[in-house]
Amino acid sequence: MRATENQGSFLNRISIRRNQVVSMDGNHEQELEDIELFQKHVADRFSNLLSPSSSSSAESPSDSILSIAWLRKLLDTFLCCEAEFKALLIIGREPSQVSKPPLDRLIPELLDRVVKALDVCNAVTHGVEAVRHCQKLAEIAVSALEQKPIGDGQVRRAKKALNSLIAAVAIEDRDGVGSKSTERAWSFGRRGGSACAGSKDRTAGQFRSLWWGMAKGWSAAKQIQAMSSNLVAPRGAESTGLAHPVYIMSTVVVFVMWALVAAIPCQERTGLVTHFPVPRQLGWAQPIISLQEKIAEEWKKKEKKCSAGVLEEMQRLERLAQSLIEFTDSFQCPAEAERLGEVAAQVAELAETCRRMEEGLVPLQQQIREVFHKVVRTRTEVLNVLDQVGKASTTPTI
Amino acid sequence: MEKSISFSKDGNRKNDTVGTPKHGSNDTADAKTLSESQIPGETEENDINIAEDHPSSESSTSLAQVVDEVDRFLQALSSTVEDESKYPEAPESVEILSTMVDSMITDYNDGKSLIRFGKDPENDSSFVEALNRVSELSNKLGEFPSLASSLNRMSAVLQRAMSFLDEEFRTLLEDWKSEKSKNNEENCNSDRCVLVDQNQQDHQSDQMEDQDQGIPPTFVFSPETVSKLNAIATAMISAGYEAECAMAYSVSRRSAFKSALDDLIGHECFSIDDVQRMHWEPLEGEIATWIAAVKSCSAVLLPNERSLCNAVFSSRPSSSHSLFGDTARAAVIKLLNFAEAMVLTKRSAEKLFKFLDMYETLRDLESSIGNDAGGSYPSEVAAETATVKAWIGAAAASIFCDLENSIKSDNGKTPVASGAVHPLTRYVMNYLKYACEYKDTLEQVFRQTDQEVKDDDDGDYHDHRDRDRESETSPFSRQLSTVMDLLDANLEMKSKLYRDPSLSFIFLMNNGRYIVQKIKGSSEIHQLMGDTWCRKRSSDLRQYHKNYQRETWGKVLQCLGQHDGLQVNGKVSKPVLKERFKSFNAMFDEIHKTQSTWVVSDEQLQSELRVSISAVMIPAYRSFLGRFKQYLDSGRQSEKYIKYQPEDIETLIDELFDGNSTSMARRRT
Repeated sequence: MRATENQGSFLNRISIRRNQVVSMDGNHEQELEDIELFQKHVADRFSNLLSPSSSSSAESPSDSILSIAWLRKLLDTFLCCEAEFKALLIIGREPSQVSKPPLDRLIPELLDRVVKALDVCNAVTHGVEAVRHCQKLAEIAVSALEQKPIGDGQVRRAKKALNSLIAAVAIEDRDGVGSKSTERAWSFGRRGGSACAGSKDRTAGQFRSLWWGMAKGWSAAKQIQAMSSNLVAPRGAESTGLAHPVYIMSTVVVFVMWALVAAIPCQERTGLVTHFPVPRQLGWAQPIISLQEKIAEEWKKKEKKCSAGVLEEMQRLERLAQSLIEFTDSFQCPAEAERLGEVAAQVAELAETCRRMEEGLVPLQQQIREVFHKVVRTRTEVLNVLDQVGKASTTPTI
Repeated sequence: MEKSISFSKDGNRKNDTVGTPKHGSNDTADAKTLSESQIPGETEENDINIAEDHPSSESSTSLAQVVDEVDRFLQALSSTVEDESKYPEAPESVEILSTMVDSMITDYNDGKSLIRFGKDPENDSSFVEALNRVSELSNKLGEFPSLASSLNRMSAVLQRAMSFLDEEFRTLLEDWKSEKSKNNEENCNSDRCVLVDQNQQDHQSDQMEDQDQGIPPTFVFSPETVSKLNAIATAMISAGYEAECAMAYSVSRRSAFKSALDDLIGHECFSIDDVQRMHWEPLEGEIATWIAAVKSCSAVLLPNERSLCNAVFSSRPSSSHSLFGDTARAAVIKLLNFAEAMVLTKRSAEKLFKFLDMYETLRDLESSIGNDAGGSYPSEVAAETATVKAWIGAAAASIFCDLENSIKSDNGKTPVASGAVHPLTRYVMNYLKYACEYKDTLEQVFRQTDQEVKDDDDGDYHDHRDRDRESETSPFSRQLSTVMDLLDANLEMKSKLYRDPSLSFIFLMNNGRYIVQKIKGSSEIHQLMGDTWCRKRSSDLRQYHKNYQRETWGKVLQCLGQHDGLQVNGKVSKPVLKERFKSFNAMFDEIHKTQSTWVVSDEQLQSELRVSISAVMIPAYRSFLGRFKQYLDSGRQSEKYIKYQPEDIETLIDELFDGNSTSMARRRT
C-alpha cells in the first residue's frame, strides 16, 4: 500500500510541475531535474533495501536480505520506481520525443524486457506454491514434535515430513525442476516401488503438479540471460537525456526479476547469471551493485552445497530440518531431557519460520500479481504513446 | 511372533493391575471383570495368533471386546484426571489393541492376501473403529506420565496406521489408471459414474464415451472409491492427520487437473514471450482450443472437482472448501495466463472477433464462478477473472476504435471508376455488420471502458449536458455513430474527387444506398443507430437523387421546355427549331454515352433512377415533339433532326448506369 501512496503523490507533483512549466521555455532544465530526482529516488530506495535495520532491531531479523519480508519490500521498491518512471516518460511529453533515436530503440527493448519479466512473474508465482508446499511439510513436523511427551509415533511422523521436505528442496536444486529422474523424491512418503506398480508415473505427475504454469522448456535462467543481454549503459550525449532513466528502469527490472528467481524456486534455474554489468561510476547503481554482490554470494554458496534456494526462510527450514532429522534418527523413547530442550528450541524456531511464511507468502504472491498488472498497464500506456506518434507521422490530418 | 511373546510377558506382569479400579465406580469394576475373564496369558496369545493369521470373524469378535474394554478405560481416565496422585495403569486391552491394529496393517500390506483397504468393508470398519480408540488413547495418555510407555506404543501404532492410510488414499486417488485397464479387460464398468450426475443414464459408457462427454478419466470415480476415500479421510482427520491427508489429496488432484488441462489445451503451453512471436493464424487455432478448454473447465471439470472434494471431505467442510479453492485457483490462473498473453499481442482489426469470443468466454467463466452457490471459489479467482476480462475488453474496444483510424487514413486521391461503391464503404460496413453480431458483447465492452474513463477523470471533465446526452444512448452506439460520421465525411471528401458533379451524386447515392442496404440487413445496426438516423439516411439519398436529376437533366429539360426562343415574331423559327433538336440530340447522346458507363449496381436504385428520369424526360420530349414536329418537313429533314422517337428515349434511358461502355456503339451499328 505504501507503494501506491508514493506513486500518487509523485504523479501529482510531476503533473503539477509540468503544467506549470509547460508554457515556459524551461522544459529541458525541468526534465534534467526530474531525471536527477528519479536517480536519487532509485538510489535511496535500494539503499534502504541494503540496510534493512531501519525498522527492525537485531533480535528480529525477519526482514534480512532475501527473507520474504525483504522480497516484499523489494517489490514495493519496484512498484515505486516503475510508477515514477512512467510519469517521467509519459506525462506532459510530446509523443514525438519518445520516438527519436536512441529512444526508438531503447523503449522497445525495455518493453521486450518487460514482457519477459511477466513470464518470470508467472514462474515465480508458481514457485511460491512450491515454497508453501515445504511450509506445510514443516508444519506437520512442528505439530508432531510439539507434542508432549514425544514418542516414537511423533518422531516418525516428523521424520517422514522432514525427509520429504529435504527431498523437495534438494530436487529443485540438483536437477532443476522438471527433470524426470528426481521426481520421485517429491512424493510424500512413498513405499518402495515394488509395493505399488506404476508409482514412478504417479510421482512424476505429483511432482509436476506443483509446477504446472510454465511452458515446457522454459528456463528462468535463460529468461534472465535474455533480459540482461542487451543492457548497455548510455554513453556520451545520450547519458544526459531520457535514455538514462530508460536504462535505470531496465536495470531495475532485470535486477528485481533476477533476485526473485534466485530467491524463489522456479523452473530451470541452473546456470543463472550471477553478474550483469552495471557501471560502478553511476551513483544510483551503487546500492544495486552491493545487493547484487550479496545475493550472488548466497547463490554461489547454494550452488556449491546443493542446498535450498536462497530464500532466507527456506534456508532456515532446510537447516532446521536437517538437524531435526538427525534427532529423529537417533531418537529412543524416552528421550533425554537435555536433548529435548535443544529440540524444543529448534522446533520453536521452525514454528516461527512457518508462521512468518504463513504470514508472508500469500501477500507476496499477491504483490507479484500486482507487479504483473502494473507492468502490463504501463506497457499499454507506453505503446499508446508510441501509437500516437506512428499515426501522427503516417496520417496527414484530413 | 517375537512381538506377541514380549507382549504376553508384559501382559502377565500387569495382570493384577489391569483396568485398576482405583475408584470403585461400576464402570471400572466392569472393566476389571471383563479384562480378568479374558486375560489368561495363553488365550490372549492365541487370540493374537488368530488375529494375525485369520483376520476374520473370530478376531473381530475379540476386537469388539477389546474396544469395549478400552472405552471403559478411557472413561476411567477421564474421571481420574482430577486426582493426580492416583494414576491409573493401562489395562492389557490397550496393548492388545495396538498389537491387533499392527497386525491388521500387516495384513493389509501383505500383497499375497490381497486384502487392501476397501476390499472387506466389515474388516475396514473394525479397523477404523480400532484406530479411533488408538487415536483417543494417544491423546488421553499424554496426561499421565506414568503411562508413557503405553502412550509411546499408541502413537507409534497410530503413525504406522496413518502411513498406511495415507498410502492407500493416494493409491485410490490415482486408481483411475488401474480401474481403466481393469474395466477394459472385464468389459464391464457398471459401477463407474460421474459424480456430478449420479443418475446419469449411461453408466455403461466406456472410456471412449467418457471422453466424448468431455470428462477426462481422472475425474471419474466409482461411488465405491469415493466412499473409501471418504472413510480414509474421515479416519485421518479424526486422528489428527488432516495435514497429511489434505496434502495427499491436493497433490494428486492437481496432477489430475494438470493432465486434464494438458489434454484440453493439447499439451502445448506457451509463455507470454512465445505468444508475442506467434503468427495470427496459429494463434487463432489456439484461441479456439483455449475457449473450449475454459468452457469445459467451468462446466465440467470444476463442478466435478468440487463434488469430489465435498464427498471425500464431508467430515470437514472447511478442508473441502480450501482444497477445492486451491485447485480452482491454480486451474483458473493457468487458463487466464493465455488470455493475458493475448492481451499483450499487437492489435489488428482481424483480431476483434476472436477477442470478443474470448471476452464472452471469460464473462461466462466469471458468472459461473459468481453464481456458485456454495461460494467455494476463492475471491481472488473471481477478481483475477474480472481483471483479465476487462483487459480483453479494453483490447477489443481499442481494436474497434482503430476503425476510426483506418477510415481517417484512407485518403487516396484517385476516385473509384464509374462512381461505384468504394472498397472502404464495403470494408467498413461488412466489418460493422459482423461486429454488430456481437452487439451485446460490444455494448458491455464499451460500457466497461467508458466507466474506466469516467473513473479516471473523476467526473470533472464531463459537464451536465454531456452526461444527459450520454445517458440517452449507449457508449457503443455512440462509438458506432462516430464511425458512421467519419465514413460519411470521408465519402463526402471522396465525392469531391469527381470532376462531374453528377457522377459525385451517383457516387454518393451508390455508397449511401450500400450503407442503407447493409443496415437493413442487420437489425442490430438499425437498432443501435435508431430510426431517426435511418430515416435521415433515406432522405439524404433522395436528396442526392434530386441533385443528380437537376445536375444532369436540368439542362435537357430546359432545352425542351423553353419555347420562347423558338418563336420569332410570333412564328416558329425553323432554323432555331432545327438547332434546338440538334442540341437536344447532342446533349442526350452525350449523357447516354457517359452515363451508360457509370455503375449503379444496386438493381432497385438503378431502376428507380431510370424510372424517375423517364418520368420527366418522356413527357417533356413527347410534348416537345408533339408540338414542334409539324414545323419540320416530313421525310429526310424530319429524320435528320428528329433522331429519336419517345420509345427510343425510353430504351436509351434504360441503358444508363450499366457500366457498359459499348452500348452506344452497338446501337449505332
